[in-house]
Amino acid sequence: MTRVALPVRLRLPALSARTRRRVTIPVAAAVVVWLLLYPWLYTSYLSNTLTQWLPDTSTAFVILAFTVMGLGLNFVVGYAGLLDLGYVAFFASGSYVAGWLASQQFAGVTISLGGTAAKGTPGIHITPWLVILAAALFSAVLGVLIGIPTLRLRGDYLAIVTLGFGEIIPQFVNNGDNIAGHNITNGSFGMTGIDGLGFGNRLHSVFSFLPANFLNEIDSRWYYWTALALVAITIATSILLRDSRLGRAWVAIREDEDAAGAMGIPLMRTKTMAYLIGAFFGGAAGALITLQASATSPDAFVLQISIFVLSMVILGGMGNVWGVLVGGLVLAYVNYKGLYAIGNTFNSTFGTNVQVPEYANLIYGAAIVLFMLVRPEGLIPSARRRSELHEEEEEEREAEAAAHGEIGGTPA
Amino acid sequence: MTDGDLLLETRALRKEFGGLVAVADVDFTVARGSISSLIGPNGAGKTTFFNMVTGAYQPSSGEIVFDGREIGGLPQHKVTALGVGRTFQNIRLFGTMTTLENVLVGMHCRLGSGVWRSLVRAPAQRREEAQARARARELIAYCGLPARAERQYARHLAYGDQRRLEVARALATTPKLLLLDEPTAGMNPQETIAFIDFVRKVRDELSLTVLLIEHDMKVVVEVSERVTVLDYGEKIAEGEPAAVTSDERVRTAYLGTKAAV
Amino acid sequence: MGTSARTATGSAARPVLALVPRLRGRVVSSLGVLLLLVVVFWLVENAVQNFDQFLLVTLNGVTNGSIYALVAIGYTLVYGILELINFAHGDVFSWGAMVSSTVALSWLGAKGGEAGFALFGSLVLTAVCAAAFCATLNMTVERIAYRPLRNAPRLAPLITAIGMSFVLSNLIAVFYGFDYVSTNPILPQGAIFHIGNQPYGWDKLIVLLVTFPALIGMTFVVQRTRWGKAMRATAQNRDAARLMGIDVDRAISFAFGLGGALAGIGGFVYLIYFTNARFDLGFRIGLFAFTAAVLGGIGNIAGAAIGGYLIGFIENYNSGLTWHALGPSWTESLVFILLILILVFRPHGLLGESLSTRS
Repeated sequence: MTRVALPVRLRLPALSARTRRRVTIPVAAAVVVWLLLYPWLYTSYLSNTLTQWLPDTSTAFVILAFTVMGLGLNFVVGYAGLLDLGYVAFFASGSYVAGWLASQQFAGVTISLGGTAAKGTPGIHITPWLVILAAALFSAVLGVLIGIPTLRLRGDYLAIVTLGFGEIIPQFVNNGDNIAGHNITNGSFGMTGIDGLGFGNRLHSVFSFLPANFLNEIDSRWYYWTALALVAITIATSILLRDSRLGRAWVAIREDEDAAGAMGIPLMRTKTMAYLIGAFFGGAAGALITLQASATSPDAFVLQISIFVLSMVILGGMGNVWGVLVGGLVLAYVNYKGLYAIGNTFNSTFGTNVQVPEYANLIYGAAIVLFMLVRPEGLIPSARRRSELHEEEEEEREAEAAAHGEIGGTPA
Repeated sequence: MTDGDLLLETRALRKEFGGLVAVADVDFTVARGSISSLIGPNGAGKTTFFNMVTGAYQPSSGEIVFDGREIGGLPQHKVTALGVGRTFQNIRLFGTMTTLENVLVGMHCRLGSGVWRSLVRAPAQRREEAQARARARELIAYCGLPARAERQYARHLAYGDQRRLEVARALATTPKLLLLDEPTAGMNPQETIAFIDFVRKVRDELSLTVLLIEHDMKVVVEVSERVTVLDYGEKIAEGEPAAVTSDERVRTAYLGTKAAV
Repeated sequence: MGTSARTATGSAARPVLALVPRLRGRVVSSLGVLLLLVVVFWLVENAVQNFDQFLLVTLNGVTNGSIYALVAIGYTLVYGILELINFAHGDVFSWGAMVSSTVALSWLGAKGGEAGFALFGSLVLTAVCAAAFCATLNMTVERIAYRPLRNAPRLAPLITAIGMSFVLSNLIAVFYGFDYVSTNPILPQGAIFHIGNQPYGWDKLIVLLVTFPALIGMTFVVQRTRWGKAMRATAQNRDAARLMGIDVDRAISFAFGLGGALAGIGGFVYLIYFTNARFDLGFRIGLFAFTAAVLGGIGNIAGAAIGGYLIGFIENYNSGLTWHALGPSWTESLVFILLILILVFRPHGLLGESLSTRS
């Protein structure tokens, strides 16, 4: 409950609850419809100069997938208040499960369970939606394992240890081509030839009236819609858990861990739950991204990704699922489209050759510092944080009233 | 007070922090259904004692028996589930949660809805939440908080209401033993009298046992059936309030040697 | 309610759980001792099998350890006084290396192979520049990013530090590009003596000749000067220090400045020894140095130095020894696992006070 002593604070106007309901619901509905139709709408935008700024469907897919990660991390950082700097570990685990279950990595066996690869292709090829679920579950288990030593630590030590795990796991992946003689991760080469979304030949073989190869490999739009569905699932989970016994326990732990324990909240179990759920969605997103990219490699799993996802939570509004959603979309957009667009515009206007996207990390770092200094509650703070804001404004109003001689009068 | 019905008993309970002995081999008992006080000068080890009973601290040695069970070394949440509720000396409410939410948190160990039931909003979960809310409102009213406080953030409550909320939250854990750590600190005389009545009401109506840490001698004498005095971690006196407060050792401890003469 | 609570004489049934914490401590210490014995045995085996290699690797460990020690002290100074992990400290070190390259190459045109005095002079000048620059940089970072958050919840300055780390390292990229910055070997490359047929070069000795005076100088400053005392007092008890008339803000700045200076010297040493550096150098070195600080006991300066050398040994033994070593591709994981083990089982490190006494 301490207040930050800052030279300047950024205050956005607070809307009344009624305004919020009247305006935001129709707007939100329109946005959802637009998002659903986006892959078709995008093609119609192509003739528009606006397309410089709008992402194509594949890029939009990546934006949504990373937003899922931000929403997943929100459980850990936003709800439970645990500063996790190694979230990339779950991205990695989800990604590699996708590689294990949908490629020729384990060519020694031949298992086909509805995957898109032709029947008889060596390796394990399970239908990709199951793969995503498997990846999520595997990552959740990994989260529990990591949590065992980690979650009993205090705030800053927790951060460093999670950072350590975030570094160790990619190194294991890198060295994983020779663990006791087995090639588990194909080492630094990564895995390629990973199956994409689709049903293989299943639909035709089950419903023979359908043409052969019907929805065998489905096009990139299905990745987009899967990601959109995953975003929706993550948001629903956030809201349902936030307003539940578990959600209250998380806030209590975040607020005052010792008092929470004294009130009967099992600390380790509750924190592990947050970690587990966060890891679940991180793994799902990782698998989905890898399925679309058809490849993965240990080089992809760097600290920058953990920080990138963390910035979504911080800049968006820690603990507020809508804030993190907006923060995630904005940041991912900036990273995968915005910076390129800005760079191109800048270069064509000034005739320079500045590779703006290369300085993405500089921008994020500066944004994090700036936000922590002037608006630590993020763009769209949760109601609890908003109450802290208003308390300051109320006190200011009272102070002003007193200064103007209305001492002893109560504010309206 | 029958010897055969002790709710809480400690035997040679000891807590050391490095070289410092905070609680020195204390034997202590609380009879079921009683109101007792634990007093002593600042730094005597009273809160440390509480913390060991609730499981916040591990005892260095000795035993704690609660309702027939050895609880020394159990984690806090298990002790709370067994029936030990507490308030804190400096108010430790969850400031960014509303009054109602604070009380609901107190009920955590008495509710059973886990992740799955919450995710699908099973009828059992919805029922449980509704019942919990109703009970929370009852507790809020029982502890003397105004109805409008329910939706206020705990940080915005007046001091007196915050103290009441602390008690309500502790009561929400459905305790058998209620530990109150300096509950009347900062209260004016009227509030103190109201509080004394409240403690009796809680003990009588909810069949609780109450153990207080107190500095206000008037409260101690007025409400306690038994007083125990700690000084430098050791028990130096125990008995009925009148006897203890006139005990020379106790006066020396509080006021210094000269005053006792 | 419950049944009668009192048993006859003697203790009530004691749940196994109550025993567990005390047992756990003993089990952990025994496992730790066992692990240590295994490591010692492994070292001795290696030494016996190939003593020359062992000696060489040990001396390499001293060299690397010197750099880690210099950087680790900066972490521990800041943590001791603010309880903040200055995430950006490793990047201050990187700046030290980069500034050294600018001064040595561009300004002084050191090309290596110069006569003794000229070389000595330019090295000293470069080191001083690096130290001064990094001291100023660290103090500036404190002033603009950490000081406003002095009263904020604990995680806020840590998050800011992470952001600052990205800012600093990427600013290097802005000025120096994303590729390696290389220099020709500046230090004399000849060997002082040979171990087996491997040379122990002058450059390694010079690293020590720079590091040891720096450590000694730092010790003097911390123990004997007014500002060193002020810093130590503030680290122990900020309010009491303030009441004694110490300007706490200045003492904190001093800690940052001193730590920065040492990191700058560390960066200087790194550059002249390894002859190349990159903008993201600070991340790995910083994490190793932080592990060193924790290993030695976070907040304890001597511990940080000792930890630094230990990490240097661990790194080089793992990479350089041949009998049953995991090899360089596992070094990072090894160090991080060590960090995790320390923080979980012995957070006060080797020389630190037991953290469990603090609330």
